[in-house]
Amino acid sequence: MKRGKIDKTDLRKLLAAASEKARCAGPVADRVGVKLEELTADSVLALDYDNFRLSPKLWFFPRSEVIASGSNGTLEATPLPEEATVLFGLRPCDAASLELLDKIFLDEAYLDPYYKARRENTTIITLACNDPDPACFCTSVGGGPGASSGADVVAFDLGSELLFEAVTEKGEAFLAEHDGLLTAPSNADDTAKEKLIADAEAKLQPVTIDGVADKLAGLFDAPVWETIGERCVGCGTCTYLCPTCHCFGLYDEEADGNVKRIRAQDACMFPLFTLEASGHNPRSTQGARARQRVMHKFSYTVSNVGETFCVGCGRCVSHCPVNIDIREILEEVGA
Amino acid sequence: MTNPYLPLPVTIDKITIENDAKDLKTFRLRFEREEDAAAFQYECGQFAMLSVAGAGESPIGIASSPLDEGYIEFTVKRYPTGVVTTVLHNLVEGATMGVRGPYGNAYPLAEMEGKNIVIVSGGFAFTTLRSTIRYLLHESQRSRFNNITAIYGARSPGELLYKDELAAWEAQDGIEMVITVDKGDEGWSGREGFVPTVLQEVAPSAEDAYVLVCGPPIMLKFTMPPLIELGFPPERIITSLERKMTCGIGKCGRCNVGSYYVCKDGPVFTYAQLQEIPEAVL
Amino acid sequence: MSRQLETKLREAVASLFERGEIDLVIGHEAGSLPLRSRPVFVRDAADIERLVWGPNCTNNLAVYLPRLFAHPKNLREEYAPPTVGIIAKGCDARSVLGLVKEHQLPREKVVIIGMPCTGMIDPKKVEAALDGARIIGAREEAGSLTVETPGGEKTLGLAEMLADGCLECAHPTIDEADVAIEGEARSPADERYQRVAAFEQMSGEERWAYFSDEISRCIRCYACRQVCPNCYCVTCFADQTKPRWIGAADELPDLMAFHIGRILHQAGRCVECDACVRACPMDIDLRVFTQKMPKDVEALYGYVAGMSADGVPALLTFTENDDEGFISEP
Repeated sequence: MKRGKIDKTDLRKLLAAASEKARCAGPVADRVGVKLEELTADSVLALDYDNFRLSPKLWFFPRSEVIASGSNGTLEATPLPEEATVLFGLRPCDAASLELLDKIFLDEAYLDPYYKARRENTTIITLACNDPDPACFCTSVGGGPGASSGADVVAFDLGSELLFEAVTEKGEAFLAEHDGLLTAPSNADDTAKEKLIADAEAKLQPVTIDGVADKLAGLFDAPVWETIGERCVGCGTCTYLCPTCHCFGLYDEEADGNVKRIRAQDACMFPLFTLEASGHNPRSTQGARARQRVMHKFSYTVSNVGETFCVGCGRCVSHCPVNIDIREILEEVGA
Repeated sequence: MTNPYLPLPVTIDKITIENDAKDLKTFRLRFEREEDAAAFQYECGQFAMLSVAGAGESPIGIASSPLDEGYIEFTVKRYPTGVVTTVLHNLVEGATMGVRGPYGNAYPLAEMEGKNIVIVSGGFAFTTLRSTIRYLLHESQRSRFNNITAIYGARSPGELLYKDELAAWEAQDGIEMVITVDKGDEGWSGREGFVPTVLQEVAPSAEDAYVLVCGPPIMLKFTMPPLIELGFPPERIITSLERKMTCGIGKCGRCNVGSYYVCKDGPVFTYAQLQEIPEAVL
Repeated sequence: MSRQLETKLREAVASLFERGEIDLVIGHEAGSLPLRSRPVFVRDAADIERLVWGPNCTNNLAVYLPRLFAHPKNLREEYAPPTVGIIAKGCDARSVLGLVKEHQLPREKVVIIGMPCTGMIDPKKVEAALDGARIIGAREEAGSLTVETPGGEKTLGLAEMLADGCLECAHPTIDEADVAIEGEARSPADERYQRVAAFEQMSGEERWAYFSDEISRCIRCYACRQVCPNCYCVTCFADQTKPRWIGAADELPDLMAFHIGRILHQAGRCVECDACVRACPMDIDLRVFTQKMPKDVEALYGYVAGMSADGVPALLTFTENDDEGFISEP
């Protein structure tokens, strides 16, 4: 597959060239961190970040979107998104999450046309990790700081240069198009890249995943859930930051006779998630809800689509307001 | 490409108020487009999402039989807390609304060929079983199955659904109808008694038989033990599970119970399957 | 200093258990990340060793109390709440008293174990002082914070690492604690509400632009609401469906409606514990907005939330001389 190097100072030029044919997004600093943002002529790239606070799943499964609208009792589907998009700077864990979400939204029986359109229209260039965050554990869930799952092109940070490696045909086409800006990598570059990735992998603390799916099946009534539930405050931080969580709700809103049907993200951690109109709630304790999230991601999805729905990005670990740590839960379950 | 989130337009042809409390109505719907009607092929036990633009959607079991032509029917209870059912009950004949579906799996009628079928139901969970009885008794289907017994109960005579049909079924040979109410009134000369109790009195034979049982959680809780006692093995006790639903197509996660999605892998489950799912408490 | 307080705290809790005065204590234990602590529920004397105290014991534990004291929905179920000990900084204790005042829990069922708070660390200040170096570990020693990074150890002045909210705190400890752990708390701040005052000086357009910018980052995770002891409504106005007060989308008006509603609901109740500020995963500058409520209520009505369990909450009563400046001519 095609490869090429570029000086970091020329990266902005590369993305500017990509912007001529597609909406192009890259890492940009704001008041509180670095986020993945659509680039304008004035945008300045920021390459020193661990990861974006919000997972890039939102570029394919937005926090909210109008899926149908109309008046007089009928609804018309929102036209499919058509814009070609290039996303630069996703970490390998976040790219891998898209392949997991594909199993839900691209399920043949009920294909989600909006998700499909966005996936087809988007080229993903990941930025491999040289220095993982202490909360990261991608290698424990089948990923890695230089892994290529979900990426069209992987970029490796060699210091003053980026080394691009195409993964898919789409990635090949992208590099071919911008060939003029790329130079050929040397053997020294490859050695450097391998060392960077190996060093990064060595920094990652392993977390038990093997056997967890099976063990969980027998732990439905274990006291660990109510212990977690006692501390859990029932917010949606873990769910909304997670690259693979995808629960949603459908809401109708009406103004002046015009109706919008909105799909918006939702979280099984919220008490109201399963509340029925009769007042009955099958998951009435926070422990039951915490159990559901862990079971769904580490057991049920394994049964249904053969995959653990966790990419080890560490966001839930870092941002839970009460420091519920999925790594500890997995260690306890796996023991 | 079909958009699985988009409801198909239907017109309300007829609204029947089913009960004295007037909070149960049967809506007879007709697809506005021929091709939608032709594509909507369903089986007994399935459900659809009823869509009321501006209010939202509600998953409702299909009450008409797949052999009923030109329309589909749904019996909906209005919950005062319900966003959709309250608006739905205010719609009038001729109004436009939407339907998405059919969704879910069906009662395993093919598996039940040549067998005796027992139907046990209470309250307004009876709707998909009404669909089933209509289908089973249809002249093209009746000979496929052996004896059919149906036990159906409501809180009071006024709460019984499909009263005309019940009378017609009581009068015919193809099915043994046992209707009961928790508490009768002056006009009522029929049985009184809770469904689980009546089940034990009727004591249908489990030999070569399947039982389809649908009812509110409290009724199911007291009906399963007598069924087991009568000798029905859990694989031949068929029931329908309910959960709050949103997408109906196995994506939004809301109806996830164990590794199943009630909307996709259900709502029809055998009791044997439910016993394996800790969260499907009955 | 924290080590000594930790020892005294454990001894006090052990006594309470021995004397049978509490069934449960809610405190802090070591977290799984550097600089983090986490809430812990201790029911057994054997677990007392897990309790810690330090300038990272940030969580307002009063948030767990309404849940423990909520009446069961089925009236026939037994209602027998535990007697709960709660490790409380000044702000946390004021939250407890506020909840008692709002009839969310009986005073006699809560044992406030008051800690002499010297301020809580803001991890972002630590990160900034380290110039992006990773924090592998941290320990507090007599006025300083020694942080372990891949490049070696660095010692920082603890005072410079304290959260802005703590620097402006007027009530690091309260008199109404049932068990007062002995020690020297911070002095109440002389200068308060400085950022809010500076914000108030900005023009309307500037304030609206800042508010829009900050709130546009909101992802409706409701962490701010869920960690707030005052947000104990069974169904929050943001979640009601009949009527639906706020849209479900992430349109700016929907986001603003939620925050404006929640912040206004705090008037006369917010104790400025900063739980919402710390919980927000999008680092929204909630403090400059939430602090406006207690500032105004104190200025207008001379009322400070949570100073006692008696009396009527500020917005549930009125006097003849109440400021009417907010009423404008049509």
